[in-house]
Amino acid sequence: MDPEDEICGETWGTKSSLSNSLQEKSADFGSQQQLQKKWDNNNSSCIMDYGFRIGQQQPPFREQINNSIQGKNSNDNKPPEWDPSAMLNNLSFLEQKIHQLNDMVHLIITRKGRVPSKPDELLTQQQQQLITADLTSIIVQLISTAGTLLPSVKTIGQFSQFTPKPAAVSPEQQHQQPNNSMDVDHNYTTEEHEEHEDGEAEHLPPGSYEILQLEKEEILAPHTHFCTICGKGFKRDANLRMHMRGHGDEYKTPAALAKPPTIKEVSSAAAEPVMIKRYSCPFSGCKRNKDHKKFQPLKTILCVKNHYKRTHCDKSYVCSRCNTKKFSVMADLKTHEKHCGRDKWLCSCGTTFSRKDKLFGHIALFQGHTPAIPPDETKTVVALAHTDDPAADGGGLGDQALMDFKSVDDPVGAAAVASCFSPLNFDSCNFGGGFPDFNRQGFDDSEASFSFLLSGGSCNYSNQNTGGES
Amino acid sequence: MSILAVLTEDLLVRVNSRIEDGADRRSWRLVCKEFLRVDSLTRKSLRVLRSEFIFSLLRRFPNVDALDLSACPRVDDGMLTLLLARGAASTTASLRWNLRSLNLSRATNGMSFKGLALIASACSQLEKLDVSYNCRLGDREAAAISGIEGLKELRLDKCLEVTDVGLVKIAVGCQKLEKLSLKWCMEISDLGVNLLSVKCWSLKFLDISYLKVTNESLCSIASLPKLEGLTMVGCPLVNDSGLEFLSRGHSLKEIDISRCEGVSSSGLVSLIRAHCNLMRIIAGYLPELSAALLDSLKLLKNLTTLIINGTQVSETVLQTISSNCKSLIEIGLSKCIGVTNVGILQLVSSHQKLKVLDLTCCGSVTDAAVCAVADSCSSLVRLKLEACYMVTEKGLERLASSCLLLEEVDLTDCSGINDSGLECLSRCSRLVSLKLGLCFTISDKGLSYIAANCSELCELDLYRCTGIGDETLAALSNGCKKLKKLNISYCIEITDRGMKSLGSLGELVDLEMRGLHNVTGVGLAAFAAMSKRLADLDLKHCENIDDSGFWALACYSHNLRQINLSNCNISDVTLCMVMGNLTRLQEAKLVHLANITVEGFELALRACCVRIKKVKMVSELRLLLSSEILEILHAKGCIIRWD
Repeated sequence: MDPEDEICGETWGTKSSLSNSLQEKSADFGSQQQLQKKWDNNNSSCIMDYGFRIGQQQPPFREQINNSIQGKNSNDNKPPEWDPSAMLNNLSFLEQKIHQLNDMVHLIITRKGRVPSKPDELLTQQQQQLITADLTSIIVQLISTAGTLLPSVKTIGQFSQFTPKPAAVSPEQQHQQPNNSMDVDHNYTTEEHEEHEDGEAEHLPPGSYEILQLEKEEILAPHTHFCTICGKGFKRDANLRMHMRGHGDEYKTPAALAKPPTIKEVSSAAAEPVMIKRYSCPFSGCKRNKDHKKFQPLKTILCVKNHYKRTHCDKSYVCSRCNTKKFSVMADLKTHEKHCGRDKWLCSCGTTFSRKDKLFGHIALFQGHTPAIPPDETKTVVALAHTDDPAADGGGLGDQALMDFKSVDDPVGAAAVASCFSPLNFDSCNFGGGFPDFNRQGFDDSEASFSFLLSGGSCNYSNQNTGGES
Repeated sequence: MSILAVLTEDLLVRVNSRIEDGADRRSWRLVCKEFLRVDSLTRKSLRVLRSEFIFSLLRRFPNVDALDLSACPRVDDGMLTLLLARGAASTTASLRWNLRSLNLSRATNGMSFKGLALIASACSQLEKLDVSYNCRLGDREAAAISGIEGLKELRLDKCLEVTDVGLVKIAVGCQKLEKLSLKWCMEISDLGVNLLSVKCWSLKFLDISYLKVTNESLCSIASLPKLEGLTMVGCPLVNDSGLEFLSRGHSLKEIDISRCEGVSSSGLVSLIRAHCNLMRIIAGYLPELSAALLDSLKLLKNLTTLIINGTQVSETVLQTISSNCKSLIEIGLSKCIGVTNVGILQLVSSHQKLKVLDLTCCGSVTDAAVCAVADSCSSLVRLKLEACYMVTEKGLERLASSCLLLEEVDLTDCSGINDSGLECLSRCSRLVSLKLGLCFTISDKGLSYIAANCSELCELDLYRCTGIGDETLAALSNGCKKLKKLNISYCIEITDRGMKSLGSLGELVDLEMRGLHNVTGVGLAAFAAMSKRLADLDLKHCENIDDSGFWALACYSHNLRQINLSNCNISDVTLCMVMGNLTRLQEAKLVHLANITVEGFELALRACCVRIKKVKMVSELRLLLSSEILEILHAKGCIIRWD
């Protein structure tokens, strides 16, 4: 078995056990997040990382580490003063770390001896990086421990520059570390944010960014990530990477599974300003097209996709509940379906509003529009106008129509509920690619890989959090 | 020889058109067939009292374009359907095409959007519709009404379930609307009024009294280009800045801001400054009348009506009003504090044209003021002096000598009035309405003058005039044949004899005779047998009337619409007879009936449940009556008031 593979597999395994031990009492995600943030503040993001790796290889040490981490956390709450016990903790922690590093190097050596036939260059490089990262972290820890001795200096301010930034570590290394969903979640929210800002003008001076323009086919292609071996397409790089695992052990390494670096990270790693990328819509004449006089670039590929579909494509997704609203982006339909039916303010033109004042504003604008009285009632009126005897069964007719409507409505509602849940799970399990494609169109296509993800046990984090839902 | 040989048909029509009084028209119809035909063909309006006659009436009067069903019991969808079907089928097709005005006020029972939708589709010419006091009228009904495109006048008073949505329906559907009353439509808010102002540009009169609307509504109302009259009584959320919004418009002629708690003089000043054509200002219960307000009145050259009920005034205030408003015709100072003789003197001195003066509850007013009014205002038509207890015969004498046009005098609670005062007053032969309630010092003698001279009298109030007795009633029945409304409550001297003489008042419609202990069944029977037109009868506390009287009532008074039998000794069977036999009965007060059992109530209610609109009963019955009958009553739209 490949050593890296073993490490990686155990990383995931212990991650959950670590978090379990950390929060035996409070199991909710929020507190866990807070905890992690505290660590980050403490310059101990790599300590945590260490925790994972140490835990995996030397289970007896785990508790001590946790103790030390917790000790540090409690220390963190107070102003950074000279605390002998904290110092002791730190020192013993350092000691352990050196031990672990020692062990790890030992392990690598023994593995090398056992499997000499495969002098994988990449593998050795990564191993080297691992060791380097660990060493860096030990140095940082040492300095920060020493720093607490200086009363006037604040730990965080002083030593943040010593954090193992990608400048010191290679990009792969950087991404090997945060294989946790926190990072992904964070990433996701920013993406969402950008999507919302889709329409806003950015006011970047022309020329300060690089303009990319995807072709129409590229934008509308359901898959953007293709397996080089079997050709299967995926919407997300993460799913592709998971898929790749099936093609051989070499794809199971943490490095291979890790998320490729984002532009920001690469640029900061390269320590030279990389031109910001902005996107142009391929539709000529569009304001988002680079040839337009008042060109407004799109920020991300996701923006391009959504913009193109919304503006230049047919609205093929019809809400099955109201049968009136149409969307070209599946996500928009899902969003609408969450609110559909709640819009009880209906205009005679068929437009619905969630608020009375909005409806009235609409009616004020358009000639001849009136607020609609609930459908069964109006039907009765219509029926009445055509029958000679009004007291006949006008009401019955309305009721019938209502019944039909309901019977149609129910399964749809159930489906909508189901579809509401699945993306939720999906999001929380997302491992994020280079350009994570959050468009949920054709969601079903990627389900196979998704379930693979789940069954691989790599999502225990989210499993734990979402409880019975997944 | 036909009368047409003497008078041509068109002349007959012209003569007929001059006859206004109902009794006179009746006489006209009885002259000959030609007269009847002319009357039938020229008749334009019809007030139906009984739904069973409506079809024959419509056949007889084919050119009716105004139909009033407000006094008619059982106006429901079925009846409207029949009515419109007949109207359409009849040769004249009168209802289908020509009906311009329809009054469905208080037609609570079972009228829904279906009936209204039919009206909308059948009466495309309808211009005026009154559906007020139909508490169950809601948005669907409003939507049906919105189908009448040409509607110009609509009353929705107290249609409690009409919301903004219904109002907007109407606003969009009836864009020619000129007059709209939304009084007591409590569900209507700013949103609806705003949209109304956007859509109904031809609106001239709007009543938003008692609505919970704010200044925002007034802001949008101000944008109505043709608005002439705005009534906003008792709008608690409106204040001076709202009135300032209103100043943006320029066409307002009438404004009523009574009982708007947030409104003060300064708001009214800004309004007056903008609307110089204001003719009527009704601003009852303003906190105070500021000097600026009185000064601004000068700007209003056309102001004819100024009503400032319930405010604090002084002599200077009244003097300023007098000097600033030269063309006043109507002044209301009811319940004003600080009204004195001098003030009245200064007020009326320059107002010869004054026709209406309301001094209700101005207690310090004496004969001097009345004399001043009499001297200055010779064209006075209506004078209210209720509770001006210092007014005596001297004042009345001067009044009667100079104000011969007086039609309406209210002397309720003027304890200074005696027989000689009435003798003087009887010189005003045009008197139509006279209120003498609580004048304990007047007697049969005084009223005999009135009865002898005021033959036009239609309304007479003798509430608790304990000095009067049977002779007054005899005199009235001889002299005041046009009497329609009479109140003789607690005139305890009245006996069966008086009641019998009242029977000869052929026009009597409304009789209130509470607490007449000396009237027995015989008297009531004699009265009921004669008085065919009686519609409203109050017998509360007439404890000595026995079943024979009520039995007669049940047999003869077929036009009875409202009855109060509280505290009467009526038996189960007779009550059942009264309630079941009187087919026009719509409202009954049945409180404290000692001889009636629960079964009696049950039966009586069952007998009348199809047409009754309002019942008052003691609250204990709520539990005792079967739920079935209560459900039926509710389903029929009957309102039960539990006492």
